[in-house]
Amino acid sequence: MTEEFDDKLDRAARQLATEISPERDLWPEIATAISTPKRSRWTPMLAQAAAVVLLVGASSFVTYVAVKNDGPTVTIQPELVFERASFGGNHNLGPGFQDARNGLRAELDAELADLSPEARADIRANLDLIHTAIVDINAVLEEEPGNIHLQQLLLQAYREELTLLRRVGGLTRNVTMRNDI
Amino acid sequence: MEALLTAEGSDYSQGMADAGTDIAANEKAWIREAQRSDARAFEALYRLHVDKVYGLCLRMTGNVSEAEDCTQEAFIQAWNKLDKFRGDSAFATWLHRIAVNAVLGRIRKSKRERDRIQAVADVQPARVSTGDGGELRDLAEAVDRLPERARHVFVLNAVYGYSHDEAAGMLGIAAGTSKAQLHRARRLLMQQLEQEGFTA
Repeated sequence: MTEEFDDKLDRAARQLATEISPERDLWPEIATAISTPKRSRWTPMLAQAAAVVLLVGASSFVTYVAVKNDGPTVTIQPELVFERASFGGNHNLGPGFQDARNGLRAELDAELADLSPEARADIRANLDLIHTAIVDINAVLEEEPGNIHLQQLLLQAYREELTLLRRVGGLTRNVTMRNDI
Repeated sequence: MEALLTAEGSDYSQGMADAGTDIAANEKAWIREAQRSDARAFEALYRLHVDKVYGLCLRMTGNVSEAEDCTQEAFIQAWNKLDKFRGDSAFATWLHRIAVNAVLGRIRKSKRERDRIQAVADVQPARVSTGDGGELRDLAEAVDRLPERARHVFVLNAVYGYSHDEAAGMLGIAAGTSKAQLHRARRLLMQQLEQEGFTA
């Protein structure tokens, strides 16, 4: 009985239509989607974020040179040790790293007070640029959390910020960062 | 399509064979052109294969709206992955694999599948037009009511003729699991269809 049923079932199953026409034309939406492929959808944002990071890198170097030549003697603070960074679910830095970062920023305010207005403005502009890059990259990462390029860009932005803070603050110790994402 | 029309004037068998050859040649050309980002060539591929892809999606989901979405997703993915198609398998088979992935991806992303099964159990479903008639329509509706995994295996194996190894590869399961799910599907179908007079 079961075998007979299975045979009949198999014969009937093979008679079921395998090609079925959709009730509407599905092509227009496909055409729209492939005319704006996913990769190119993010390219302007990626390029923008990369450009910001590169700009910040170049700009912070200029700032560093200016600060080094014209600014006061910087203070080395060996007690400020960076913890290993970690990217959380929303791609923020881990709390330990954030604490160290906040500490450096607090130190920065004191350092900036001793600098010339031009150098101070330049540094603040650089930090604002970096902050904007971090916010922008995080926004894109919300859409594509697994995007390695974005994660690298974010890491690079954090590095730029830390490099700038370190240079201004005069820290000479190497910064340990997570770079294995 | 044009090849099919021109073939009708000659001997039917030979004409169909010629048409098949022409379609295969056209398909190869369209694939090459689409791989160079020619959207019109890709549209030709879409027109040639949409019924196969939509049919599979509809059989696997049992839902017109989801089948439409999966079909569109499958062709979009095919476009994005077209440079990886090397012709190792038939283009239709390659598309089928992508379509199965689109269906599975959609199911993973949402709980709609569970809702759909619940809805089918609770209320009379909207008639899905598959072109099947009589006992076949009863079978098609019974297949729609199968649990998800059993339905997927039954559709790929019993309806589309894929081997257990092939179906298992598409579904990301072991071949033994595919066999077990097919057995389960048959038993469930027997229970359903015997009540409707579909007996051996």
